Amino acid sequence: MTLLHVDNLRVTFPTRQGPAEVVRGVSFALGRERLGIVGESGSGKSQTGRAILGLTPPPGRATADRLSFDGIDLCRATPRQWRQLRGARISMVMQDPKFSLNPVMTIGRQLIEAARAPRAEAHDRAMAMLDAVQIRDPARVFAAYPHELSGGMGQRAMIAMMLMAEPDLLIADEPTSALDVTVQIEVLRILDRLVEDRGMGLIFISHDLRLVGSFCDRVLVMYAGRVVEELAAADLAQARHPYTQGLLNCLPRIEGGRRPLPTLQREAGWAL
Amino acid sequence: MALIDIRDLHVSFGEVQAVRGVSAAVAEGESYGIVGESGSGKSTVLRALCGLAPITAGAVTVVNEPLGRRRSAAFHRRVQMVFQDPYASLHPRHTIDRVLSEPLAIHGFADRESRILQALDEVGLGAGFRFRYPHQLSGGQRQRVAIARALILEPRVLLLDEPTSALDASIQAEVLNLLDRLRSERGLTYILVSHDLAVVAHMCERLLVMQHGRAVEELTRDSLRARSAAEAYTRALLSASEGYTPAGATP
Repeated sequence: MTLLHVDNLRVTFPTRQGPAEVVRGVSFALGRERLGIVGESGSGKSQTGRAILGLTPPPGRATADRLSFDGIDLCRATPRQWRQLRGARISMVMQDPKFSLNPVMTIGRQLIEAARAPRAEAHDRAMAMLDAVQIRDPARVFAAYPHELSGGMGQRAMIAMMLMAEPDLLIADEPTSALDVTVQIEVLRILDRLVEDRGMGLIFISHDLRLVGSFCDRVLVMYAGRVVEELAAADLAQARHPYTQGLLNCLPRIEGGRRPLPTLQREAGWAL
Repeated sequence: MALIDIRDLHVSFGEVQAVRGVSAAVAEGESYGIVGESGSGKSTVLRALCGLAPITAGAVTVVNEPLGRRRSAAFHRRVQMVFQDPYASLHPRHTIDRVLSEPLAIHGFADRESRILQALDEVGLGAGFRFRYPHQLSGGQRQRVAIARALILEPRVLLLDEPTSALDASIQAEVLNLLDRLRSERGLTYILVSHDLAVVAHMCERLLVMQHGRAVEELTRDSLRARSAAEAYTRALLSASEGYTPAGATP
């Protein structure tokens, strides 16, 4: 079943040199699966994620031939419809919990605020959610302010908050990049379980090709605002586009190998 | 005797013991890695070496100079550091020329003009970058400037604190290749701190795994590649750096 349709999505920012198109005609369809969007900085991957939620920062503008979520036309959605979707049916997790949690509210209050349910019920749900994201001492975290938590804990609290509303679609923009590798794997396990158990759709935006390749079902590779290659994560090693191959090859490996590392020779044709 | 000898180093900030008894010996020309997660004290070891963090206890000798509270000018000429964030480590209102000439002025070098041009050339930037400001450069170019600034005093030791973790993968490869080439050309000694095992395995012959301010174990590159780590923590790091494995696939 297709949850999200994106057809010819474009995001443009006005600059002194004229409009700069940072996303240039991205199209894909998402079911209840893990879709990875990979690319380097400036490839437009984050702006793609934001545009789906209608969060393109002004003066930027997002347009699409078709942008629909579960039958709802997002291009023509009213502010009222957006309020019903955002946080409730589509959620987003950002990279750094330090900037996306409210610093003057306890984690518990923020979770309850996200629940939109009677207080007692919301409290129980919040505790259950903190438990579900593998926080060992939910009562302490519930009463804590964001600065009292480590990065890994904060990011788990963030995910717990996004999941309070049991969204159908979660857009995770570099959700684990600020975390240590061992914590990163734990957070991915939580996301994985949510996709498996609840049938949530997940868009996983990352610069880490190796991580996306091992975690997602399908991968879109973005370069200069375009999708240059779409492939099943399992076939990443057989990538055909020279950019994807270059990205894979320039990573150092524990097993060792080439020295000097092969570098990426960009071709002007890729950006056309 | 080793070029850098760290014996039972302790670093405390008030109550917090950031480094608790770390020892390591690095020979001349060697590249030594320190791996650990955030809060493991790996960067603090580097900062203690170059004088940015206090040595609370223990003995550190660098190029036969026991380190006390103050470092001599000769020390800073021999030991230079490259920091993690190329956006934060260059003065935003100083041109690259000024960034590079400051250490030369401090240490009283005469032929500044030719040294600046040579340093820019060595890191692959060229003279055209000399009068630009940091905001006109990309992250990779800025990190090259930071490396040029460190190398301009012709040090013997470079302390590298996560030199590529703020960079894209393709730029990381270029900077790692540059560091590799400079080491073989100049016979430099590196201590490289990173959270990325693959980067350390690529760059370093030996490495130290740290956790909670303590050394977990010291490995050679070959034993890392053979996955013959003795400690459970090192094995957990190794499996985590392979990428995601579904639950149940790993114990």
